[in-house]
Amino acid sequence: MRGAGRGPATSRLNAPRPALVEAHVDGSPRLVNRQRVVLVREEWRVVDRWWTEEPVNRRYFEVVLESGENACVYRDAEAGCWFSQRA
Amino acid sequence: MIACVLIPGFELRAALRSRPGLELEPAALVPEPGTEALLGPVTVAAEAEGVRAGMRLGEALAACPQLVLVDPDPAAVEREWEGVLRRLEDAGIAVEPVEPGVVVFETRGVERLYGGVAAALRRALAAVGTAWDPRAGAAGRRFAALAAASVARPGQILVVEEKDERDFLAPLPLTLLPLPRERYAELEGLGVRRLGELAALPGGAVAERLGPEGRRAWQLARGGERRRVHGRAPAVELAEALSFPEAVANELTLRRALAALLARLLARPERAGRPLRKVALAARLVTGGSWRRTVTLREATAEQARLRAALGPKLADLPAPVLELRLEAVELAEHTGTQLALVEPGGKELEGRLREGLRQVRASTGTGSVCAVVEVAPWSRIPEARALVVPRDV
Repeated sequence: MRGAGRGPATSRLNAPRPALVEAHVDGSPRLVNRQRVVLVREEWRVVDRWWTEEPVNRRYFEVVLESGENACVYRDAEAGCWFSQRA
Repeated sequence: MIACVLIPGFELRAALRSRPGLELEPAALVPEPGTEALLGPVTVAAEAEGVRAGMRLGEALAACPQLVLVDPDPAAVEREWEGVLRRLEDAGIAVEPVEPGVVVFETRGVERLYGGVAAALRRALAAVGTAWDPRAGAAGRRFAALAAASVARPGQILVVEEKDERDFLAPLPLTLLPLPRERYAELEGLGVRRLGELAALPGGAVAERLGPEGRRAWQLARGGERRRVHGRAPAVELAEALSFPEAVANELTLRRALAALLARLLARPERAGRPLRKVALAARLVTGGSWRRTVTLREATAEQARLRAALGPKLADLPAPVLELRLEAVELAEHTGTQLALVEPGGKELEGRLREGLRQVRASTGTGSVCAVVEVAPWSRIPEARALVVPRDV
């Protein structure tokens, strides 16, 4: 989102970033940014704004990677892409 | 009396130290990248061909096609100038450097040592060395001393008695004044060509027409203010350098090299626990020139992380790949510890400090660097819809 005129930009906090994810057949992530997923801690869905022009249909996964790092990724069913985001 | 030792075209002379044959050829110092394309100092041979300092580059090359353009070498300038100052200090003179090539000192301290003002100035010129073609002037005030040194020939000493200062300055050209080029043209258009002519004008009228810089020039034309000379604190000799087997342009490698240099510099026993007040980062470039940036820390520190944060961004200014990186402790603080507060600040004081810190961040990084998080829909199930990051003026 851009501020009006030539002023500095206003941005969204915690905006999603594109992530490189390879998934299993069941849709759960296998590799996140080239790191193997060792544990899926939680999974949930966010379906919202289905009555608007920009519906939200996301399947979130909170995972632990082989480096020990926690990550939260989701697959956007509308765009068909993966994103990472702090939930 | 105040004495001034002047070495005209010091930057060019220092840059030519590594290319000795060029001193007798028509050569000129090219302007720093990003500045106006005006020539720096030129050699005597170039002057004979009609090339003048401050000339446009294209104009100079048209006048003298064989003109050799010399890249600025700030590290050599710094090194050679430090050498000149140290030789003067070794002669017992407490020097106050004005800029590379110009140094002033009070003669009172050395007059008795060498037997008079002229003898002291002769000693100063000998200490600088004849290779630099230095010239010296002495007068009751700084500007008159600088003017005397400016009109003296290489190796000459010119002493102006205090009562003769106004008469001495009157016939000298306006170019001795620190004024922008267009101001000289403006003054010449008004028929003012000599210092005496400017000094004869009413001060208020000059200030009204030329602004504060004109007022200052008018004061200088009348001899300038009486200001004492403050000898500099002896410089420290703490430096660490790292040579690379091949030229490096990768910022990550350079940052690692900087971290290693910092660790080595901070471990030097000569530091004796004192924190660094002013540090310089210099590099020898693959193009043959050099690069140097000096950082004065707001608060003297010996913390590696803070020094890295202060110096790291300077590496992005490097104009070419680097063959050698050098870190110098230019000035050390006198204290060895930092006074901590007994009671942690709170309330308005803490808020004031925070505001000041944010103001400084904004001043150094520009508009939009300080932001506030504004909650717009904290209840939303969509994480990015909950809050916005909004730039704010402090």
